[in-house]
Amino acid sequence: MTTPTHDLPTPSGEPDPGSTGSSGGRADHDMDEPPKGGSFLGYLLRKLGGALTSMILVVVLGFFAFRMLPGDPVLKIAKERPMSPAQIAELRSQYGLDKPVIVQFWDYLVGIFTGELGESYVYRKPVSELIVDYLGPTLLLTATAAVLAIGLGLWLGQLSAWRRNSLFDKVASSTSLVFWSVPTFWLGLILLMIFGGTLQWLPTGGMITPGLDPWSPAGIIDVIKHLILPVITMVAVVYAQYLMVMRASLIEEMSEDYLTTARAKGLTEDEVRKKHAVPNALLPTITVVFMHIGGLITGAVTVEAVFSWPGLGKLTFEAISGPDLPLLQGTFVVFSAIIIVMNLAADIVYRFLDPRVRRA
Amino acid sequence: MTELSFANVSITYRSASTRGDVTAVSDISLDLPTGATLGIAGESGSGKSTLIMSALRLLPKSTTIDGQVRLGGKDIRDLSFGEIRAVRWAQASIVFQGALHSLNPVREVGGQIIEALEHHAKDAWMTPAKRRDRMFELLEEVDLDQSKAVSYPHELSGGQKQRIMIAMALACEPDIIIADEPTTALDVIVQKQILEGMARLVGERGISLLMISHDLAVLSAVCENLAIMRHGKLVEYGPSDQVCLAPEEDYTKQLANAFPQIGDAESRMNPRTLKPAEVRRAQPYEMTDEVVLEAKNLSVSFDTRQGRERAVRGVDLALHKAEILAVVGQSGSGKTTLARSLLGLQEVDAGSQLDFAGTALPRKAKALRAFRRQVQMILQDPSGSLNPKRSVYEAVVEGLRVQKITDDEYARVIGALEAAELTPAADYLESIPQELSGGQRQRVVIAGALALDPQVLIADEPVASLDASVRGEILSLFLALKKNLGMSALIITHDLGLAWNIADTVAVMKKGEIVEYGDVDTVLSDPQHAYTQELLAAVPRLGSQSLVNNG
Amino acid sequence: MSNTNPSASTPSGSAAEANARVIDGTRLVRDRRLNNVKKNWSLFRSDIAAMLGAIVLVFFILIAIFAPLIAPASMLDVTQQLDVPRYAPPSLAHPLGTDDLGRELWVRILWGARVSILVGVAATVMSMVIGTVMGLAAGHFSGLFGAVVMRIIDFFIVLPSLLLAIVLSSVLERGVFTIVVAIGLTSWASTARIVRSQTLSVESRLYIERARILGAGHRHILFKHMLPAVMPLVLANTTLTVGSAIIAESTLSFLGLGDTSKESWGTILKNSMDISAATSGYWWYVLTPGIAIVLVVLAFTMVGRALEAIINPALRNR
Repeated sequence: MTTPTHDLPTPSGEPDPGSTGSSGGRADHDMDEPPKGGSFLGYLLRKLGGALTSMILVVVLGFFAFRMLPGDPVLKIAKERPMSPAQIAELRSQYGLDKPVIVQFWDYLVGIFTGELGESYVYRKPVSELIVDYLGPTLLLTATAAVLAIGLGLWLGQLSAWRRNSLFDKVASSTSLVFWSVPTFWLGLILLMIFGGTLQWLPTGGMITPGLDPWSPAGIIDVIKHLILPVITMVAVVYAQYLMVMRASLIEEMSEDYLTTARAKGLTEDEVRKKHAVPNALLPTITVVFMHIGGLITGAVTVEAVFSWPGLGKLTFEAISGPDLPLLQGTFVVFSAIIIVMNLAADIVYRFLDPRVRRA
Repeated sequence: MTELSFANVSITYRSASTRGDVTAVSDISLDLPTGATLGIAGESGSGKSTLIMSALRLLPKSTTIDGQVRLGGKDIRDLSFGEIRAVRWAQASIVFQGALHSLNPVREVGGQIIEALEHHAKDAWMTPAKRRDRMFELLEEVDLDQSKAVSYPHELSGGQKQRIMIAMALACEPDIIIADEPTTALDVIVQKQILEGMARLVGERGISLLMISHDLAVLSAVCENLAIMRHGKLVEYGPSDQVCLAPEEDYTKQLANAFPQIGDAESRMNPRTLKPAEVRRAQPYEMTDEVVLEAKNLSVSFDTRQGRERAVRGVDLALHKAEILAVVGQSGSGKTTLARSLLGLQEVDAGSQLDFAGTALPRKAKALRAFRRQVQMILQDPSGSLNPKRSVYEAVVEGLRVQKITDDEYARVIGALEAAELTPAADYLESIPQELSGGQRQRVVIAGALALDPQVLIADEPVASLDASVRGEILSLFLALKKNLGMSALIITHDLGLAWNIADTVAVMKKGEIVEYGDVDTVLSDPQHAYTQELLAAVPRLGSQSLVNNG
Repeated sequence: MSNTNPSASTPSGSAAEANARVIDGTRLVRDRRLNNVKKNWSLFRSDIAAMLGAIVLVFFILIAIFAPLIAPASMLDVTQQLDVPRYAPPSLAHPLGTDDLGRELWVRILWGARVSILVGVAATVMSMVIGTVMGLAAGHFSGLFGAVVMRIIDFFIVLPSLLLAIVLSSVLERGVFTIVVAIGLTSWASTARIVRSQTLSVESRLYIERARILGAGHRHILFKHMLPAVMPLVLANTTLTVGSAIIAESTLSFLGLGDTSKESWGTILKNSMDISAATSGYWWYVLTPGIAIVLVVLAFTMVGRALEAIINPALRNR
């Protein structure tokens, strides 16, 4: 779970949204009346509703996990450092913990809608302010890693599938299996050790050398240098998954009849792959890739911790070590919100990419 | 022009699995001279598809071909890959089974036709604009509106997709068209239109046609010559009429027998088979007046995304003791929904009335379970109806255990298997479904229903997924169950011939309504409703190239 | 009808005889299953990667079990290691080197295998049980109940388990049990999805409809048809999930959410991070626990993939 939940892509494992939902339902529709599709608005509303439900669950979970589970948060802080009963009582009232739960929940809800996420125990600053400060670097890191991992994974995956059982395929598949079995943070440590420690080629931490203006040419190059190791770490672990999904999906597609039609029409093997097989294999792959985008984003937690990248991940890491519960609660809600929004966007984009009407 | 010939062709699939190499085709010699029409008939696994795919070298690399496949006088194995690509589609094109996934699902169908033109550019379609015009022209030829060019395959019906396939095959003006099961999975009426259209287009242009199908009647309705294949070998070859109407080989006879000639007195209430089921009673049961299962004003509606859809509309039906009632309709007519609601498996609309033996159908789970002892259903596909992991004994006993009938379990299972004529029953008990043939599986399914000792059997297309040669056996079993046990049966089918073979009464369904209902002899010899007449006319007849000559 | 009961036509013997034949029948079915096991074993054996994986697994499981015999717990006691050099690089005297407190890394790896593998297996069992139940429920029951279950699964699929596990393990008491719960409660969604799609595909088979026609209720269908159909898949998935649960354990420990009083591979890595081993040249401190994790996870993956391929021949050629 350094990466998304480690489920290996099994082509037959899930009902792939690619193949039109002919299976399943009663096959009692008229063969000579073309099937009708659902409206885009209905689809949009369904997906929007799903995202909203998820968000509500996150918000509720964010509140109750930190208050209702065994272990009084304040007592927990008290255990980590010496405190007098008076200090504890003061802490309670400071964080509103002496009020009834329902009032606390209401305050929390109002807070979420007004961007008020409480105050960090450690930083003594509003959580929302901290999050805004740390959001940018995380987006830079994860977006760069995502683009590279998706591009690399899909490209290698389709080559691998098309040359199934060739030397290339064997090397690519086994490399990806090894990367897939590596904890992200450990890979980061190894890279740090080799390129930052022994070889001293690249900086070992942070985002920019102190004193440089990030918008000056030298500053931009410096940021890119800082970016290299964390990005490689994230890409290495995640691309492997995408490779395997794409490979499985294309292998499944390779036995489809329309490829025989294309071959019979006189297309070369390359044309068959590029014009027919890959576009079809891409569609189910894209869903899986986006379904796992959350894994990539949370991979930032350990990577940023290893490379001291000043992002939300590092903030989360510090909140854990605190423990700084308001901060942890804040990063949890924000991370979740980003992931939910990304998934919603992916669903909507998918609808435009795939002309087929899919099952609800 | 080009001719296609197979000379002593054998095709072997190399396989690393334990089965070793598999010979799919052995020593076939066939000729398709210019302008000729040849049909190859065979059941699944006969090697007919492998044979035709070899004509354009479309088989996987793991196959070896012995003998010669000649296209226009040249052995296709001597062509380079570039040459074979040039031959594909320009000299010989293929009409695949359009209803399946033969069209790329994510590209517009018009574009897929143009793609073929691009790869074999000729003067008449050198420029993109000309190719577009040609594509529209082709759509018109196959009676499709130009607007369909921008459709995706999933937006088209099975028949429309098949027309696109035909338009695509005609695109580059080939000399030969190879049609691979071009009408399988289509309804008879659509099938007739497609076959007529294809025969006309091919005839006008002097294109040779090589068509393969499992359906002898379809082939004989279009082709001059017929070849019968079985287990990779050629069984019989000759002019269509001769092969169909005066077959020499037993296997061909079996296939030909599977197609009842409606109106033929000999096959009325007498499905032709080499293995008829035994009628044990001196005085077999005959249809009575006693109503067993009755539906009045039965309607069923579904909620779909487009709103509420009525699948069954105000149906009145009565099934009598020892009656076989055939409900005939095309896919989408609501006949399966009707069957499910008669069993209480489907929620019915308010105002519908369902009675069994004079009392209303129960709705509570427990009462329904008891009711199921009396009315049983046989589903369409016997292979799917059996859990692949469970033995025949477990499959037959399942109903008894569910119904908590514990006495004489073993004897009941044996009795049911024997009633389904799977004998000697004891030899089959431990078999798992994959060890049985299609016909045997269907007998196991029937035995599973008989074990509960029901009064009514409802069967949904009981022979549609079986090989033609087994059809007669299973139909004769239904007839025997009626005669021996006095069982009533309601049989859902798309096949009017089935009604002619075994049914007492027939109900013709269209779009959820029963349009004609009555005694089989009356309805089929003198149909009143236009739809029944249309259905009857669309049934392919054996021999005499009926669709080409009349169409 | 039905004056002619089918059974009446049988020349049935005595009830005892009939029963004997039934039992005989089930024995034959059992023989066939045994044959299947043999066939699958030979398939598995022909997969070199899977066999290597199995050997690695057996090795690590054995050292985990016999750790106290090979290296007594006293070897982990810091107060007894005062004469051992700290940060000793690997050598004949210290095969895998020593850590910042003079403990032998090979001893720590040995003991760490106990917690890492135990947590991996326990969390997986928990995750499999939840995943199977949720997947079956979502696939089998239509209507509101199924939809609600599906929504919950979707939620856990979208939200990565690491995020939820961090939240859970930071609010619960630190300990091995907490880690197991945190991983088990958050990583079941992918199993649920696989089980659900398998359930849906079995649900659309005609033999389920046939069981309904015979009068079967939910219980019969779920236990006699669905569960046997999804179990092989779940078992193969289990092997794959153990690997990811071990990675999850090391990640949580690394983040400081583990049980610091117990050795685990993640804890060793956390200790190495705390003293900046990676940038201070103590490469063995970082390398060895990581390699142990990769080896075990890879071994579980290889075995899991081979099992999956045996169950689903369609995957065999990948």
